[in-house]
Amino acid sequence: MFNTKKSLVVASVAALFSGSVFAMSGSSDSNTASGEKIDGKYAANYAEIIKKADGKYLDKEVIEAILGKDAAYGRNGLEGKLDPANPYSFEVDDSIDGGNHGNAQCKIPAAFTEVHESVAKNFYNDDYTARGFGTPIAESALEKWNITVDGDGKGLPKAGVGMTVEEGGKVYVQFCGMCHGEFGEGAKGYLALAVEEDLVTSDFTDPAPMKAVGNYWPYAVTLFDYIRRTMPFWTPNAPYIGDAGYLGMTGYILQSNYIPINDEGEELAEDTFFDSAMLMKMNKYMPNQGNFFCDHRPVIHNARCMTNCDKTQVGDGTGNIENYRQARKLPDGTPQYNVPQRLHEDKPGVGHAGM
Amino acid sequence: MTDQIVEKVAVQTDESRNQSRRAFLKGSAAVAGGVMFTQAATAAEGAGYDAKKAVAPYAGKEEITNVLQDQAARKSLGFGVRKYPYGMPSPYEKEVQRRTLEWLTPDSMASITMTPLQQLHGIITPNGLHFERFHGGVPTINPDEHRLVIHGLVERPLIFTMDDLKRFPSVSRIHFVECPANGAMEWKGVQLNSVQWTHGMMSCVEYTGVRLSDLLKEAGIKPEGKWIIPEGADASGMSRSIPLDLAMDDCFVAYAQNGEALRREQGYPIRLVVPGCEANMWVKYLRRIMVHDVPMQHREETSKYTELMPDGTAQRFSWYMEANSVITYPSPDFKMQGPGKYYVRGLAWSGRGKVAHVDVSFDGGKNWKEAHFTSPVLDKAWTRFEVEWDWDGSEAFLMSRVTDETGYVQPPMPQMRNLEGTNNVYHRTAMVTWRVHAWENGKSGGMIENVQY
Repeated sequence: MFNTKKSLVVASVAALFSGSVFAMSGSSDSNTASGEKIDGKYAANYAEIIKKADGKYLDKEVIEAILGKDAAYGRNGLEGKLDPANPYSFEVDDSIDGGNHGNAQCKIPAAFTEVHESVAKNFYNDDYTARGFGTPIAESALEKWNITVDGDGKGLPKAGVGMTVEEGGKVYVQFCGMCHGEFGEGAKGYLALAVEEDLVTSDFTDPAPMKAVGNYWPYAVTLFDYIRRTMPFWTPNAPYIGDAGYLGMTGYILQSNYIPINDEGEELAEDTFFDSAMLMKMNKYMPNQGNFFCDHRPVIHNARCMTNCDKTQVGDGTGNIENYRQARKLPDGTPQYNVPQRLHEDKPGVGHAGM
Repeated sequence: MTDQIVEKVAVQTDESRNQSRRAFLKGSAAVAGGVMFTQAATAAEGAGYDAKKAVAPYAGKEEITNVLQDQAARKSLGFGVRKYPYGMPSPYEKEVQRRTLEWLTPDSMASITMTPLQQLHGIITPNGLHFERFHGGVPTINPDEHRLVIHGLVERPLIFTMDDLKRFPSVSRIHFVECPANGAMEWKGVQLNSVQWTHGMMSCVEYTGVRLSDLLKEAGIKPEGKWIIPEGADASGMSRSIPLDLAMDDCFVAYAQNGEALRREQGYPIRLVVPGCEANMWVKYLRRIMVHDVPMQHREETSKYTELMPDGTAQRFSWYMEANSVITYPSPDFKMQGPGKYYVRGLAWSGRGKVAHVDVSFDGGKNWKEAHFTSPVLDKAWTRFEVEWDWDGSEAFLMSRVTDETGYVQPPMPQMRNLEGTNNVYHRTAMVTWRVHAWENGKSGGMIENVQY
C-alpha cells in the first residue's frame, strides 16, 4: 500500500535517463501533454520539455507539461490523495521547489510558529539600538573559516580544481577505505556510502533499509561539503588532501553510486576529470531528490479521552491490552538489561548491556 | 511513609532523627537502586493512617532497626571543608551515571550517552548527568582563544570574544534539550528495559546566555538573508540551516548551564539554544554564524535527521520536538513493593510550548486519570507530574499521555507506527507502556517491564 509514490517517481526518473529513443518521437508542441504518451502517462517528448526548461524537472510547470494538468498520477496526482489513511503520503503546499535542482526551502510549520507568539514578545524588540560590542571584520578575513558550500554550489572551489576519478579513488582508498570499504560498502560498523537498497518498506518487519549516497542523499554537492568539513574522521579538513583531493574522493563516491552525469544516463569514467563543474552537473541527477517533503506535523489529531476510550486508542489498537510485545535479546546477543537486578536477585547496579 | 516509620521507630530529637535516616538509607539498597518504598504500606494502612499500626509490623525487624546501633556517622567526625573544592555526589550514588549502549555506534567519539531519567527528581538535570552526543569527540577549547563570527548577508560582519558576548544583556531560561533520535531503538518493537534507554537522550537545564536576535541585529541582517547557518569549532564542524524567523524568536547563545559555565560535553565555551527543537540544531562550540539566502542542504539536514516513511519518501526540516511524556516511577528499573498506594510520577514536555495536561492510564489506555504537576509549568521545559494510585496487586499496564497547550494529544504507539512505519529513526514520540507483573506471580511478581503494543 505504501510503494505507489516511490515507484512512480523512480519510474519518471528512470524514464529521464533512458535516453533519446522516445525523445525524438514526441509531438512538436513541447509544452502540452496532449501528444503521444508513454504508458499512457508521460509525454513522449519529456526530454525535450525538460531541456527546454533548463533541466528543471522538479518544477511544477515541467511536471504538468509532462504528465498533463489533471493527471491523477505522478507527482501531480500525488498532491491529491495517495492513501487517505496516511497523511504522510502526499506533498504539502509549504514546500517550495525552486532552483535548477529543486533546492527546497521549507517554511517553519504554521503549527509551530503560532505558539511562538508569546515568546516573540520577549525577543523581537524592534527598537533595537546597536551597542557596538564586537569588532567589525572583513569578509575576506574569514576565508580560512568559511568552508560552507550551499545546495546551489555556492562556496565550491573554482572549476578546474580537481583530479580524475581514478586518482580520486586512490585518495579514497588511502583515507576512507578502512572505515567505509574500498567500494563504499562500509566496514567495522561505519556507514556504507554505496548500497543499492530499496527505501520502500512494505512490511513493518522488513529490516531497516540502509540509507547511502545514491539511494538517499538528495544533493551531490552536500557530499563535498561534508567530506571536506569532517573527514578523515581523525584529522578533518586535511590540507594535504586539499580541495583537489576532496573533489576527487567525491567523484569516486558518486561513481560508486552510479550517479549519471547527463540526461543520457552516462556515468563517470575512470579518466573523467572531476571538479566543481562536474559536481554541479551531477547535482540534479541524484535519484532520490524528489522524495523529500517538508514537515507538516502534526498529522495526528487525537481527542483527549478519559474513560472507556475508543478501541483504536487502547492497547494494540483493537482494544486488546494483552497483545503486547516483550523485549528479547539485545542486538549484540546479550540478554536483556538488568534482569537479575530488576528482580532484586542481584544488588541494583550496572546492567551488562550498559557502559 | 518511610520517613514516618523510621521516625516512629527510632527517634526522639530532630538531630538523631536526621542521623538515623541517613544511616537507614545507607544500610539499605534504597539509594543505589532507587527503590523508594519499603514493604510498609499496605492499602489498608493507607486508608486510615494510624501511627501505631504503621509502626507495629516493624517492631523487632532487624534489617530495619539494627542500623540504629551502628551510629557510625554519629560517633566520629566527618571530613572537613575543602576536601572537595568542587563537590561530588555521595559514593552511595555512584551508580547514577549517564550510560551508553556499545552496539549503537562504532566508536566513542561519534556516540551518545543517556541521562538516567529514572534517578532524577524535579525538572533540572545535574550538569554531570546531562546526556552527551558527539559527532567528532569533545574539544577542550581555551575561551580566551575562542571567537564567534557573524557574517554572510549582514551589514557589518562582526567577530566577538567571550568578553564581548558576556557584555550583552543576559537571559536565563529552563529548557529541555532532546536528541530527535530519543526512543529510536523502540521503533521496531521494545528492546530496552529502562527509562534511561527509552527516553534518556535528553536533559533539562537552566541556560544563561545572550539573545541570538541581539547578536544578529548588532550585525544587521540584509533583507535577502533568510537563513542562518551556525557552525561548531569541533572536529565535526557541525552545521545546520535554521530559518531566520526561528533564529530571531527565542534562540540564544548560551555560555552557562545550571549556574556555571557550560561543560565541555555540552559545548564549552558557547552553544546555540534553539528551544523546543531538535538538539542537533543546538550547535555546540559555536564559532560562526553565517547568514544566507537559502538553506545549505548539509548532511545533517538531508542524509541524517530526516524521517524515512514506509513509502520511501522522507520528511525533512522537522525542527520541533512533539509533546512527549514518560512515567519514571514506577518504571523498569524499579520493583513494586507490594499492593498498596503509590505515587506514580514522571516527566512531560512539548517543543511547541507548555504542557497542559498529563493523564495516566493503568489499564493500557482504556481509562485515564489526570495527574497534577509538582513542578513549575514552563515553556518548552520538563514538567514533573504525579498521580495517586491504589495498586490491588494485579497485572497493570501503565501509560502516560501528555496534552500540550496547542491541544496536541500524545498518540499511542500503534497509531504512530501505522502512519510512519518503523524505519523512521527520529521523532518516535508515541506513548510507552510499563507492564506491572501481578504481585502473586512467582519470582517476577511486582517486576516492571517495558512492553509495546
